[in-house]
Amino acid sequence: MLIKQISIFIPNKKGSLSQLTDILIAHGIDIRAIAVFDTTEFGILRIVVDDPDRAVEILNKEGIVAKVSKVIAVEPEDKPGSLNQIFSILRDSDINIEYIYSFIMRKKEMPYIVLKVDHQEKAVEELTANGINVINKEEIYAKESL
Amino acid sequence: MIDSKIWSKEETFEREEFEKIQQERLKKTVERVYQNVPYYKAKLMEAGIEPGDIKTLGDLANIPFTVKDDFRKNYPFGLFSSPQKDIVRYHASSGTTGKPTVVGYTRKDMENWSELIARLVTMAGVTDEDTAQVSFGYGLFTGAFGLHQGLERVGASVIPISSGNTEKQIMIMQDFGTTALISTPSYALHMAEVATEMGINPKKDLSLKWGLFGGEGSSEGMRNEINERWGLFATENYGMSELIGPGVSGECLALKGMHISEDHFLPEIIDPNTGKVLGTGEVGELVITTITKEGLPILRYRTKDITSLHYETCDCGRTTVRMSKIQGRCDDMLILGGVNVFPSQIEDVLLQIDGIGPHYQIKVFKKGYLDKIEVDVELADANLLDSFALLESLNQKIKHQLRTVLGIEAKVNLVQPRSLARFEGKAKRVIDMREVK
Repeated sequence: MLIKQISIFIPNKKGSLSQLTDILIAHGIDIRAIAVFDTTEFGILRIVVDDPDRAVEILNKEGIVAKVSKVIAVEPEDKPGSLNQIFSILRDSDINIEYIYSFIMRKKEMPYIVLKVDHQEKAVEELTANGINVINKEEIYAKESL
Repeated sequence: MIDSKIWSKEETFEREEFEKIQQERLKKTVERVYQNVPYYKAKLMEAGIEPGDIKTLGDLANIPFTVKDDFRKNYPFGLFSSPQKDIVRYHASSGTTGKPTVVGYTRKDMENWSELIARLVTMAGVTDEDTAQVSFGYGLFTGAFGLHQGLERVGASVIPISSGNTEKQIMIMQDFGTTALISTPSYALHMAEVATEMGINPKKDLSLKWGLFGGEGSSEGMRNEINERWGLFATENYGMSELIGPGVSGECLALKGMHISEDHFLPEIIDPNTGKVLGTGEVGELVITTITKEGLPILRYRTKDITSLHYETCDCGRTTVRMSKIQGRCDDMLILGGVNVFPSQIEDVLLQIDGIGPHYQIKVFKKGYLDKIEVDVELADANLLDSFALLESLNQKIKHQLRTVLGIEAKVNLVQPRSLARFEGKAKRVIDMREVK
């Protein structure tokens, strides 16, 4: 149930991000989620795209350090307390969240949340068992219109 | 013992034989410049020396030094000991500012030069079975033509491809079955990257055995990197156009320093600050007197290169004195907050750290009264992207190593691979933005 995200090394310089998006656009790669946090001289950009393996290949060819790694995508219900429910499940299962970001794509009405935790398989099991909708990769990478 | 061919008998002379021939040739050289070069005559007279005063090798220390600036003052032919009619070849050094340094060779000089290079390439493993690709730039620069003529003398099949057009270099290398690469070490690393990009595995798809590198210094780390990427055996050779070009010294397969052809060059080590001659094994500036040159003999040339001399017989059987790997240049020694640092030392530290590439750039500038140093290195390992903490700790590790090994406080910038400049000729890795000294 894990989905693929891409981690990309970016120097903290003007134009670093547009340089990346220029490359992705040129190859028809669609970004589904994006996150970058405060950085020092450099940082790590994380994105979810429709064709992660091809995207990494293209970026590496352009001389950019990038790699695919696995994360969990969940769909919280659109009501107060739903995020709290997810975090509580993970806490009770003794799972630590490393980082979290949300989708910019709204495929249906609900936003998706991307989670990177220390025990990914276990987290998926616990979340699913507790009725949280964990999104499968077909849904994430699907090309069809929104 | 290393089992390899020795090109000429002079390479295994007894010490007394060297001294005898050196003394004779030194006398002749001093006589020659005194008679033919007014500038040298004036310089020797000013020091109170007449050719007759030079009787033994011990008298060498009384002769004034020649420095790079003497070439500039005498541009273009003022230091020549032969009339232009007798010169059969000119070369010039890559003058970074102003006029280049011009050098000239008589027919006899060309003959000696080829002989010196034949020794050097033989020492480095090359035989008449080899196909040698000369990836130095052909032209006024001495590197390409120098190696070329000696490789031909040995009987190797020479490919005079020159530098640049790297993809074509790789294609020729593959199609012609090149077994020996002659280039600068930084260009060799660049070529390996380009080959890999072209989908060629240098180790499997190419037939390289030997790498003969010169034109710039390189560290042990860089040598290992080259050996590993190409699957070849790398040796370093040394020279400078003022003295002859390549051919002054080179490493044999024992890798115990560079053998100086002592029947042509008389080496000394001096303290760069006082000019005092230092003893065997002591580290200082290399000073060379050419003792067989006709066109442009040079007395006690200050090379600015920091090294030491070692006289024990080498594992390869040669008795010629060996100079250790160049530790740096007097003039590119950086003084950072009172600490003496050579760029080569920084390179050594960086090459021992996993996760970063072999290329780097050093920037030095003043912040208030303080020297600030920044080192750019290329990130190579994508696995560090799993967490920011991994990247941060790589950065800290580099800083820590620079601090503990060299005693310098540097800011480290991780940059994208391939974003730092690659050099086909001499690498310019230090940008000093402090006011001009």
